[in-house]
Amino acid sequence: MERYVYPFSAIVGQDKMKLALVLNAVHPAIGGVLIRGEKGTGKSTAVRALARLLPEQTVVADCTYHCDPDAPEAMCSDCRDRLARGEKLPRARRRMRVVELPINASEDRVVGAIDIESAIKSGERRFEPGVLAEANRNILYVDEVNLLDDHLVDVLLDAAAMGVNVVEREGISIWHPARFILVGTMNPEEGDLRPQLLDRFGLTVDVEGIKDIGQRVQIVERREEWEADPSGFGERYREEDAEIGQRIADAIVRFPRVVMPSPILRALAELNVSLQVDGHRADLVGRKAAQALAAYHGIPEVGVPQINEVADMVLAHRVKGGGRRELGDLGQALGGVSRASR
Amino acid sequence: MPFESTFPFTAIVGQDRMKRALLLNAIDPMIGGVLIRGERGTAKSTAVRALARLLPDYDAVDGCPYRCDPAEPPRFCDECRRRSATAPLPVTRLPMRIVELPINASEDRLVGSIDIEVAVRSGTRRFQPGVLAEANRNLLYVDEVNLLDDHLVDVLLDAAAMGVNVVEREGISVAHPAHFILVGTMNPEEGELRPQLLDRFGLCVDVGSLTDIDDRLKIIALEDQFFRDPAGLRASALPAEAGLREQLILARRRLGQVSLPVPIRTLIARLCLDGYVAGHRADLVVAHTARALSALRGAIAVELDDVLAALDLALSHRRRDAPGDRQAQFQEVAVRAAEQLAQIQAEASLPQAQAADGDSPISQAGVGGDSSQGWTAAEPQLTKPSDLSEPEPDTVIQLATFPVKKLDLPRERLIRRAAGKRTSTKSQNKRGRYVRSAQVEKVTDVAFDATVRAAAPHQPGRRQALPLAANRLQLEPRDLRQKVRERKTGNLIVFVVDASASMDAEQRMIATKGAILSLLRHAYVRRDKVALVAFSGRNARVVLRPTSSVDLAERRLERLSIGGTTPLTHGLLTSLKLIKTERLRDPQVYPLLVLISDGRGNISLFGEEPLLEAQRMAAQVKAESVRAMVIDSTRDFGSQPGHPKSRVTSLYGAYAFNVCADLAQRLGGRYYGLFDLSQNAIVDTVRSEMLRKDSA
Repeated sequence: MERYVYPFSAIVGQDKMKLALVLNAVHPAIGGVLIRGEKGTGKSTAVRALARLLPEQTVVADCTYHCDPDAPEAMCSDCRDRLARGEKLPRARRRMRVVELPINASEDRVVGAIDIESAIKSGERRFEPGVLAEANRNILYVDEVNLLDDHLVDVLLDAAAMGVNVVEREGISIWHPARFILVGTMNPEEGDLRPQLLDRFGLTVDVEGIKDIGQRVQIVERREEWEADPSGFGERYREEDAEIGQRIADAIVRFPRVVMPSPILRALAELNVSLQVDGHRADLVGRKAAQALAAYHGIPEVGVPQINEVADMVLAHRVKGGGRRELGDLGQALGGVSRASR
Repeated sequence: MPFESTFPFTAIVGQDRMKRALLLNAIDPMIGGVLIRGERGTAKSTAVRALARLLPDYDAVDGCPYRCDPAEPPRFCDECRRRSATAPLPVTRLPMRIVELPINASEDRLVGSIDIEVAVRSGTRRFQPGVLAEANRNLLYVDEVNLLDDHLVDVLLDAAAMGVNVVEREGISVAHPAHFILVGTMNPEEGELRPQLLDRFGLCVDVGSLTDIDDRLKIIALEDQFFRDPAGLRASALPAEAGLREQLILARRRLGQVSLPVPIRTLIARLCLDGYVAGHRADLVVAHTARALSALRGAIAVELDDVLAALDLALSHRRRDAPGDRQAQFQEVAVRAAEQLAQIQAEASLPQAQAADGDSPISQAGVGGDSSQGWTAAEPQLTKPSDLSEPEPDTVIQLATFPVKKLDLPRERLIRRAAGKRTSTKSQNKRGRYVRSAQVEKVTDVAFDATVRAAAPHQPGRRQALPLAANRLQLEPRDLRQKVRERKTGNLIVFVVDASASMDAEQRMIATKGAILSLLRHAYVRRDKVALVAFSGRNARVVLRPTSSVDLAERRLERLSIGGTTPLTHGLLTSLKLIKTERLRDPQVYPLLVLISDGRGNISLFGEEPLLEAQRMAAQVKAESVRAMVIDSTRDFGSQPGHPKSRVTSLYGAYAFNVCADLAQRLGGRYYGLFDLSQNAIVDTVRSEMLRKDSA
């Protein structure tokens, strides 16, 4: 089912958004990204395009949850049992996927439900996996995430909190891993996101319509080209896309070796304390994002510029009082970062 | 649940109160669990799950699905009782577990239900134990406990109160023990917990983020280490974990020998009395907690410090006075407790006070003297434990004048009301959470699991009747069950605000703005939406689309300017359109139109007399069955029932006829004056309008 997808590298402007997505691809533990902005700013296009750049991963070939054969920690109970029995798990390579969670999804489709067919045919109680199962080790994409039904948000929070989906319904009692990169888009004018869910997103970017006339013309032109001949258009950007994909793949390899100097880390923590950021997630995400950025740029050691570049993505949705307004102070606070690290 | 792969408990930095509360429960399950409240990202869930590896083992009856305690025959399940009558029960050693109740759980899994497999195959009704059965003698963990469905909460409370789970469904009749330690985590930003459920938790701790930079750095480093090499981190934490576990087991063993001296017992009773706590659960919890604390210390008797530490954990969610500076309060309590203890001991040494065992009444003089000083700064009158059912002390702000800033509403009361049945409606259109099933005449939304369960026991009989289809499940119409769904329907409050020049007078706009903001501040917790339509000049505009965003609303409101003529019809039309659109998106939405104006419409929309147009539009709004109310911005009287409304001397001589009252009538809503309402009153009024839905 290879649909035509608009190439990532053909997206004009919106560098911040693209960077946030790339950083997540480099280091999924960053925890996803929330893209806030008006309609028609290329949010969905970018997310879907990202799928093609994502690195390949090793999976257990016949596992519903695409468990990693090399990480017994995060395996489903089935794979654990097989491993415990001394079975050799069949391996396969596959590309990370973008799994969509439509906002009108029913809860049983999201968490999974009893398999009706086998129940009717044989009276057997079997679990039919839902979207969360599919999303394990993939990107879970929620368009208009702020319009998501409340009870679905609850379910999502529950699963995202520990990377496990626990199902106790319709006679079924089961758990399975559900670790995913949560990517959401929203139009803030239609309402806020619940704070608990907001915090689950590692990064936030605010996108705006591009003001530059030249770029706007370019957007329309490219779109028309793509609509007229999607395969030819894709072909033209194949190389650029492949290059980004390669950079991501390289960055993944480099990531663990990127040095995080402790003065920088300290400055980051101080910044978060001084901004009265809720919880500790800002510290953790900030470190990962800066490190991923350095890895992506091929820089061996995280410096002030990297922290600066990711700071507002990490903090925009975590600073108390709703975010944006206080980011004015952030400029000064970041000045503090640079001083502290010297 | 793969709890063995969690972050090590001993590696969690800081949050000592939370860790202590959890450990104490592992030592003495009688403490009754712990509720952990805190902002996002403060290791709440991590700590609970990490506790799994520290939990002690216990003796259990081998083969019993409820793991009955061989040493406690009164708590046996029916099966164990039967078995123990004939032969000694086999005993096995089991680890105490954490059983997780996900908030998406359905009722049948929580209480247990008929086993479909067995029923379909053999036609026998066998009970498939649910989460409550699994939780017996274990720890029941509910993450985001404040989001748990009301219905599940009821079931949970029932079981927790009785220690027994009674199942009467699908032809099954079972009662089994369900004693569990209830542990919940929640983020208060997402809404409050029902008071009933709150009281069920023995202890409660509030966690916040650490502000010490070194601690924070330690957390970053540990998290990184855990990500890279979880097994390695756990291995390095192993000695500490094993040591702590050993300590717990020792403490558990010692627990029975820790004595609770009479003076200490008296002190606990007095302190709880002084703390204005409801009910007697607090006394018990404090006693158990203090004892567990001394057991953990390795002491043989409970001392003052244990009591103080226990109070700190057990009373914060039970006190009904306003929470203040915890540190300062604690200091104060400590001082007072020491004084009291000295006093009690002095009394006890007197011969006539010998009878002072734990439950003897405290001497009159002692009570009088204590309560007048009270160890918290609240009103000393509130010392009776029976005060629970009475309304809380009056926290409503006096509103003789308009406070222009945002209002501080009586939060508790408000949330309790919001958490009631009002916001959750039985959903008709297959949306919402499937909470349970029911037998209805015409099934439109088949509850599949329930249907199969209903049909299962009849299978052998039906197969005999119809041997050709022997392997298939045979359903009959009477087996069909309907899904009962519940979904929180948001209210939509549309303010239609007159922004014409006349609103400038007497701070009318300020009052209006204040009211809208106050409503909005609670809209989030109640999942309500607010929209704002303003009309002035020659048109009406949607200033704020339906939103629950406080931030956005605040900014839009600030910018709302006044001036020009009064196109009343435009305003009504625009808001009606807005409501219709919103209904398309969510047919369940429950709109309330609040018109705030002086009613002096003077701009025509269709070329007719403006007043007539407005009246006609009002009738149309009513025809769309939109609930409405009118707040007359020119009046400070008229809202009392029985007041002559239709003809009063208006401030504006030209309209002797009361336009607003007339509009209200045509809208089918109530009529109020702005100034006699004041801000709080507007909020209350809107809320009571919303509540009228229930009776409607």
